[in-house]
Amino acid sequence: MNNVVRSSNRSPLQQRGDEQRQQETETLLPAVDIIEEPNALKLVADMPGVTHETLKVELDNNVLSLEGEIALNMPEGLSALHAEVRGQRFARRFNLSHEVDGDAITASIVNGVLTLTLPKKDSHRARRIEVQAA
Amino acid sequence: MFDDIKRFETGSPQQLDWFRQLLDGFLPDGNAADIRAVPRGSFPMINVARSDDTVRVYVFAAGLAPSDLTIDVQDNVLTLRGKREPVMGSNEDGSARPIFRRERASGEFVRAIALPDGLDAERAEARHSHGVFEIVLPKREELKPRRIDVQAA
Repeated sequence: MNNVVRSSNRSPLQQRGDEQRQQETETLLPAVDIIEEPNALKLVADMPGVTHETLKVELDNNVLSLEGEIALNMPEGLSALHAEVRGQRFARRFNLSHEVDGDAITASIVNGVLTLTLPKKDSHRARRIEVQAA
Repeated sequence: MFDDIKRFETGSPQQLDWFRQLLDGFLPDGNAADIRAVPRGSFPMINVARSDDTVRVYVFAAGLAPSDLTIDVQDNVLTLRGKREPVMGSNEDGSARPIFRRERASGEFVRAIALPDGLDAERAEARHSHGVFEIVLPKREELKPRRIDVQAA
């Protein structure tokens, strides 16, 4: 069960060119927690500034992708003094195992925290097996 | 808008410094050498911007409700305090659930940041939307930019 969810967006270091580095500074990688529940996996991602409208969650061929634009309404004419968040969007992808029931995934975003529930297929749920007396 | 800062930092100033580029290739985390860098996983992240009459602080604190963050200003130092609860990792009967990843910061935090001089903390306001807090600190009247008319001699 340990490899149910594997992050797929870490690129090999030696392939990094300047162009790719540029890309990395603009797209932020959200921090996630992944927890197993008896009948589902729970994925929690920090995406501050992302709203219900600017969030996109897609499942394609067992690849789950999360993308969200940071929607801040800032007045015109600002200049930056200090920036720790240097990007306009969050994106991250995960490979899902076949144990996850892709049709039953649910998502909600509250205060910039995305919570995804990935239910397990019936055949992979935890069940208790009664031991019969001999 | 915060791209402005980045623009100054990307693009090596010493195009001919092949040795430095080679080292950067081996140590790909470019942020490590950045004076403005914060340790990975700092929570919450902070951006500061300035306009003609205000300084605005953006605090990226996903998962905090407005009442979860305490904002203090004293002697031009802005202090943010709060607590974020970790996602429950145990079942009803108290046994631990398997956790595959734990990247999100949780627990209590305090961050302090120095502000520019000349701000009027009395008139500061803070707003919250979608996990981002915006703190607006107006500049004092005498520090706002003003135009000086040239009088005919």
